[in-house]
Amino acid sequence: MAEIIRFDKLSKYYASTNVQASNEVSFSIEQGEVHAICGENGAGKTTLMRMLFGMETPDSGSLLLDGKPVSFASPSDAISAGIGMVHQHFMIVPSFSVSENIMLGNEQVSHGFLDKQEERNYVRDLSERYGLPIDPDAIASSLPVGLLQRVEILKMLAKKVRILILDEPTAVLTPGEVGPFLHTLTGLAHDGYTILFISHKLQEVLTVADRITVMRKGQVIGTKPSRGTTMEELAMMMVGRPVVLNIQKGPAHPGSVVLKTHDLTYRNSLGVTKLDHVSLSIRAGEVYGVAGVSGNGQEALVNCLSGLNKPTEGSMELEGQDLTNASVRTRRNHGMAQVPEDRIHVGLNMDASVEENLLMGFEHREPFSLHGILQQREMQENAGRMIKAYAIFGASAESPVRMLSGGNMQKVVLARELSSKPRLLIVDQPTRGLDVGSIEFVHRMILSQRDQGVAVLLVSVELEEILSLSDRVGVMYAGRLQGELEGKQITQEAIGMLMVGGSV
Amino acid sequence: MKKPKGTYILHVLIPLIAIVLGVAVSFVLIALTGISPIATFRELWKGAFGMTGKVWPLWITLGQSTPLILTGLSAMCAFRVGVFCIAQESQYVFGAIVAAWLGVALSLPSWILIPLVLLCSMAAGALAAEIPALLKVKLGVNEIISSIMVNNISTLVLEYLVAFPMRADAGQKAQSAVLPQKLWLFQFIKGSRWGVSFVIAVLLAVGLYFLLWKTSFGYEVRMVGQSPRFSQYGGVSAGGVTLGMMAISGALAGLAGSMEVLGNYHRIMTGFSSGLGFDGLSVAMLGLSHPLGVFIVAILLAGIRQGAQLGLQINLQVPRELGGVLIALIILFVALENIYKPHVEAWVKRLEGGKTKAAE
Repeated sequence: MAEIIRFDKLSKYYASTNVQASNEVSFSIEQGEVHAICGENGAGKTTLMRMLFGMETPDSGSLLLDGKPVSFASPSDAISAGIGMVHQHFMIVPSFSVSENIMLGNEQVSHGFLDKQEERNYVRDLSERYGLPIDPDAIASSLPVGLLQRVEILKMLAKKVRILILDEPTAVLTPGEVGPFLHTLTGLAHDGYTILFISHKLQEVLTVADRITVMRKGQVIGTKPSRGTTMEELAMMMVGRPVVLNIQKGPAHPGSVVLKTHDLTYRNSLGVTKLDHVSLSIRAGEVYGVAGVSGNGQEALVNCLSGLNKPTEGSMELEGQDLTNASVRTRRNHGMAQVPEDRIHVGLNMDASVEENLLMGFEHREPFSLHGILQQREMQENAGRMIKAYAIFGASAESPVRMLSGGNMQKVVLARELSSKPRLLIVDQPTRGLDVGSIEFVHRMILSQRDQGVAVLLVSVELEEILSLSDRVGVMYAGRLQGELEGKQITQEAIGMLMVGGSV
Repeated sequence: MKKPKGTYILHVLIPLIAIVLGVAVSFVLIALTGISPIATFRELWKGAFGMTGKVWPLWITLGQSTPLILTGLSAMCAFRVGVFCIAQESQYVFGAIVAAWLGVALSLPSWILIPLVLLCSMAAGALAAEIPALLKVKLGVNEIISSIMVNNISTLVLEYLVAFPMRADAGQKAQSAVLPQKLWLFQFIKGSRWGVSFVIAVLLAVGLYFLLWKTSFGYEVRMVGQSPRFSQYGGVSAGGVTLGMMAISGALAGLAGSMEVLGNYHRIMTGFSSGLGFDGLSVAMLGLSHPLGVFIVAILLAGIRQGAQLGLQINLQVPRELGGVLIALIILFVALENIYKPHVEAWVKRLEGGKTKAAE
């Protein structure tokens, strides 16, 4: 196979965050291979791809395409050179149909008018040729995420690219969609496309990639053929220390009941029952895992507990105190803390600094506030302490939280929520989109909270996560608590049965 | 690790570039009429910030800037809490109406009456601001549309009041009675309009800086403005904070109207407001929603207007509308920032990168 892309000592430094995102990166990609690039959050994978796609200019080093040095000033330069990229966040016009999205900028015209039929046929051909079936007339906003991603890929194929960059493509897919998607990638590679696949899900990487390049802190650690490489080996390369993939936890020592809900029910403004008479209780010092396919009432449960939604029926109490209709602040003052599912829009304020993000919920409490006046020095010292204690990489107290990588953002959320010394900790999809090192960190934090006697409610769609952390498991189905499992009963099979509405 | 300075530089550079471009285009426009642009701008400067004559033009500019500072601060408060309220005009008018009414209707010693009138005007402005604010918080009504309607209502209410119940005489002009002289606000230089109200405006600007960046309430305001979902999750009552800040916003515009009546016009008439509420929006935007920016921009805009009137129209026979054109051009270039911002950003970055490398 011929070499198609060569990175030659590419470097990129971000002065605003003082991060060397790419440090003399050199390796090569071969024509027609699926090449995975792995690394922790903030390892420099995305920066490297942005340089390849013309979104960033390298400070030094060169980029060789087919042996010739190239430099792209913009993504359109890269596309005309045959390089396409599918971003983590889709670039799609929601009100357009699938074919309109795919043909955008490439419209078929006859006699000065758009030829919709021609566009439809083109899209249909394209989708059949590559085994990516899609309805060309469907409106983008009505499609599930998995199909939107397909639209993005078709969009790039329509632009006649030869090299396809995919930035964490499986993060948005449901477990069922991942398999077929990976299969498509192998198919594309067979057709002569070169695939660059950014991921930190080691299982997928080993399944789909021909070769794997591991990055850490802006440097290439090594490139390996996937055959003969193990998950542990890759994990070691990524974090530079052995990672416990299945975390070992000691026995729980449950104390008194902390959270108790009774027939908690929530109907939304349209009258749809999202949460249906859920009664559960969680003791101090145990992790209660809520499993289930996403969209089965987990969101309503968390929102009713945290006070963002008012339950339509039922009640909840925290350490014997009824908080059913209490405000978020009252709940927090009574010892509740929450790591929300969406850290970008809910858990953090992207426009604010690390220091300001750490203040949320404490802005009226001493020592950060005295008589309504903020104590800047306390805030700064607190931020400094947190950055050190949680090893928040690449941050100063004043740097915008937007500049951090996903794992470091989650550390900011955890640092803030745990600093209130909660009695009840709600964690919702705490490791979504995080790399191996950050996942381990988050899991350790959750277990250490449990061991300190905190009641933990863990909501996760990752079965592995539920299995390795929970002391008790409740499975949700159609807004109901379909069943509860304890000790030896907690098995993948039992949870699987309950998840689809069965019984054990 | 150092604070990233680039963003601050960028924030200040954009309005500066807009001003330079606005001046450059006006330069061309003036040259086309056959008058020397340099002489024109010299006159403009003298008319705006000159320090000659019995009443310095600078004093007049500072006097004219006073209501602009206040309406600018008012718009700033709304923007900071994430409400794009453009009803400063109505708050300003309602504040003025209350001042003109109470100033005539009540007979109390001036040391009680002046503060009382100012406070009541602020309350009126605050109430006017709560209309779009409440509609937004409780019902999700778009604040731009409701603000436009409230502005119209205030204009019509003013016209009705001065034409009928508050009309002072049967003369041709519909206007209210003149306030007793004991209520007129003190002016530092007679005939300059530069007086105690300017000091109040400056103190309020300083106070608002403190409120927004040094207090717990201000922190909540900024968080609600930037990310409502984040603040709700963190336990902030976003609706309450919004209503609170909007009351402050309205009170500031109401105070502007009140002090214009007490310190300047001493009565109200049809067309009382010359669009000062709307100017407040430009001031807040050009001033980057920061009290210091608002203060500087308000004086600059008042100066351009004043210089065009005094310097150009009277001395050079250049139409005073040139001042309006210059202001409009500057605002236009701010609105066009997306065109040149990437270049400026790249330039700042390069400059920064060079510096950090040199430091290493």
